[in-house]
Amino acid sequence: MHRLIAPTRILRPRVFSSARLHRHLHHDHGTSTVNAAEIAHFSRLSSLWWDEHGEFAMLHRMNPHRVDFVRAKLREVGLEEEGEGWAAARGARVLSGLDVLDVGCGGGILTESLTRLGARTLAVDASESNVAIASLHAAADPHLASSMADGALEYRHTSSEVLAQEAKRFDVVCSMEVIEHVDNPAAFLRSCAELVKPGGHLILSTISRTPLAYLTTILFAEDLLRLVAPGTHTYAKFINPSELVDFFHREGWIARVEPTRREAEVRGMVYLPWKGDWALVPRGFRSSVAETNYLFWVRKPATSL
Amino acid sequence: MSLKRVASGSTSRVLKQTRLLPSRIHRYYSTPTSSNAPEDSDVVIVGGGPAGLALASALGSSDAVKQNLKITLVEFGDLEKVRGWNMPSDAFSNRVSSLTNVSQNFLEEIGAWDLVDEGRTCGLEEMKVWDGISDARIDFNAATLGLGSSMTAGNQMARLTENLNLQRGLLRHLDQHTNVSLLDNTKVDSIHHDGNDADGWPAVHLSNGKVLRARLLVGADGFNSPVRSYAGIESYGWNYPTHAIVATLQHAPRSLQPNTTAYQRFLPTGPIAFLPLSPTASSLVWSTRPALAAALKQTDPLVLVRMINAAFRLPEVSLRYLHDRILEASTAGAPLTPSEITDEIAWRERAHDIHEYSAYASASVDPVSVNIGIPPEGAELLPPLVENIQPGTVASFPLRFNHAEAYVGEGRGARTVLVGDAAHTIHPLAGQGLNLGLGDAECLARCITGAVQRGGDIGSHTALLPYARERYFENHKMMSAVDKLHKLYASTAPPVVWARSVGVEVLNELDALKAGVMASAGAGPGPGRGDASWGMAASGVEALVGGARVVTAVRDGVRAVGVGALQQLAQSLAGRSR
Ligand SMILES: Cc1cc2nc3c(=O)[nH]c(=O)nc-3n(C[C@H](O)[C@H](O)[C@H](O)COP(=O)(O)OP(=O)(O)OC[C@H]3O[C@@H](n4cnc5c(N)ncnc54)[C@H](O)[C@@H]3O)c2cc1C
Repeated sequence: MHRLIAPTRILRPRVFSSARLHRHLHHDHGTSTVNAAEIAHFSRLSSLWWDEHGEFAMLHRMNPHRVDFVRAKLREVGLEEEGEGWAAARGARVLSGLDVLDVGCGGGILTESLTRLGARTLAVDASESNVAIASLHAAADPHLASSMADGALEYRHTSSEVLAQEAKRFDVVCSMEVIEHVDNPAAFLRSCAELVKPGGHLILSTISRTPLAYLTTILFAEDLLRLVAPGTHTYAKFINPSELVDFFHREGWIARVEPTRREAEVRGMVYLPWKGDWALVPRGFRSSVAETNYLFWVRKPATSL
Repeated sequence: MSLKRVASGSTSRVLKQTRLLPSRIHRYYSTPTSSNAPEDSDVVIVGGGPAGLALASALGSSDAVKQNLKITLVEFGDLEKVRGWNMPSDAFSNRVSSLTNVSQNFLEEIGAWDLVDEGRTCGLEEMKVWDGISDARIDFNAATLGLGSSMTAGNQMARLTENLNLQRGLLRHLDQHTNVSLLDNTKVDSIHHDGNDADGWPAVHLSNGKVLRARLLVGADGFNSPVRSYAGIESYGWNYPTHAIVATLQHAPRSLQPNTTAYQRFLPTGPIAFLPLSPTASSLVWSTRPALAAALKQTDPLVLVRMINAAFRLPEVSLRYLHDRILEASTAGAPLTPSEITDEIAWRERAHDIHEYSAYASASVDPVSVNIGIPPEGAELLPPLVENIQPGTVASFPLRFNHAEAYVGEGRGARTVLVGDAAHTIHPLAGQGLNLGLGDAECLARCITGAVQRGGDIGSHTALLPYARERYFENHKMMSAVDKLHKLYASTAPPVVWARSVGVEVLNELDALKAGVMASAGAGPGPGRGDASWGMAASGVEALVGGARVVTAVRDGVRAVGVGALQQLAQSLAGRSR
């Protein structure tokens, strides 16, 4: 029986209650709901971001599969729209030169991978210490340090809500293991969606609200096995794939409630304890898809609505 | 560590550093300009032996790696000598390995096999293995077992290849790939942790004064691995009370069959193996007591020739007597002459009723005329009679069992990984040493390529974990099978001899089981791991030898060995004898 663990990312826009932190913040904060308790919880964990054996081991192991999903979707769409020639010329470097936004970057686990694959990456997080840790970690890597120097990699302490008020839009917006920690998912999703260029991609990963998810993620992973720190997840905040589909249907990104493969896709992700690794659930496994952890891809229509 | 300090330490410091980002911080890490300042390399491979060269070759041939990584290989020795290695077509180096079909397919896939001189290699079509005491036999035949590789028209279970031929091919292959720089005649003097936190990179200090900072440091640096010491990885093991004698053997071509069969006889002192290289040359690997190995190395080569022929033919009790004679004479400072040893052997043959027309006669006959004349009955059960030893090819080396406790370094030893003999040293009786190293190289190259394609940090534990998972257990299985086999055959106790003989003879009758056994040992056609047939074969053999196991357990100390080793026996013998 597999344990499905949702490692966590930190995110969260919004207001820091700490006065000391406030002194150093110059931007204005989003208006959506704040969850100071969650921010405090993750700030405590921040030192462990890059300990691959620690709290975030599960997340480190999950990361390659998330990157696979991002690459696969970009390649699939590119192949369909630009043809074989495009695919041959791009080879494996489908992200090269694209403007990519990582919302809720945490310690920068996904961000660093996206940057290595050639994306021009902006990574934001609502926890200032996360941003500090992510920046320091990238600066210690000569390749990423030069990306930072020439502007191909930037970390900012801000929220998607604040960013959405700026003019810049992105080819790809990623927000992994974030939405389940947000108090107002609809506002959060709307700001992420806003940041995607027409014809661009939005990719999320999260945990669905099923009894299995409760069992594996909260009961086993947090309470019993202590694989992730207790308090990491709140069951009520888990979001089901159908709710995401429904949201983007109402936003006008998806024409019908049953989205076509070109509009949106949901892929389950399972942890296989005997392999010590995650795996993407193969396509066509409808029933088991998204029982707990899943990835969600949706495409913004090329013509604005 | 400082990362943690930043995170858990004073908030004000965190914030201060945040404000510095990214421009100020970048300066500390930008590429230094002074000449002996560290130079960054994504992969630094220490060691240009077969494992290191194969890894560099595999990385050099991967497009993803080529576009993204800078690779440096450091070797103490002179690789120019390997590149320029040349031998007449009828002479052979004494370091020969039996490459499994899986190893060959890997070399073919990376494009290196084309650059190995295949004319100097020899496909192994058959193996004959027997018990030194009971004479119980097991035969592996590639044709009847349906084995073969994609690159050979015929059937082969392995291919005997000189190590230098392989290394030269790998170097020629590397010459085509510019993202790999080779630094030979260069020693790694020391390795230090760069920086004072867990995130620091290994800094490799070279004898030419240069310092290389490695994103990933690969220890392909052999048994005494400096990388393993730096990484703080313990290894455990022991020396066998055994040395291996190697030599290139010369003999007349056989009249009725090609020289494509390997022979291995398990003597209580260790196995003696005969590996075909050409119609008139073969390679010897004879594992025996260190004192005997030393004495044999010093005798007249013709004495060694006589002893090799006898070792495949005489009953074990007579071999023991001959070994004592050699040792006595050598200790007395009056080594036996060729004619003395010939007389001794002839005398033993008469004592055992071995007549000169018997295939088991070696001293009382002229080897040349036996090899090229009409062979006596049963000659195919034995290797051809050796006539000479190629001058300068007799050497011996100690045998040991050693396995690192981990393949990937952690903590302050992070960003390190071990391949080949640096990770494991194995008894050569099953010919797995080099194949394990090539398997490591294949797997690590695949793992690094995968990490690059997914934007991973190739030095991170996450990127290296699949390598450790895949190889550690694989290697451990093979190593302990070979070790058990060595111990099982070192016994002369009747119940053990009986049990292992029955097991082997029963196994010998079942081609399907043998095919499964061979496939799982790398002789199968493809690089398919975990062949399903093995499961079947294993349980079949398990059931068959179940009875024998009871007998084995009779003797204390042998219990640990178990007849389960018989199942592994065949597996480890498959396709190699070294
Ligand atoms: C004497 C001997 C005879 C053998 N004969 C056989 C045989 O006949 N058949 C068989 O199958 N197997 C044989 N083996 C085992 C077989 O050679 C090994 O399994 C195989 O060579 C392992 O390859 P490798 O690349 O892992 O290590 P090695 O071949 O040991 O290569 C390690 C390399 O690292 C280099 N190195 C080490 N330290 C440093 C340093 N500080 N700086 C720079 N370079 C360094 C060394 O110069 C060496 O070239 C023999 C082993 C030995 C020692």
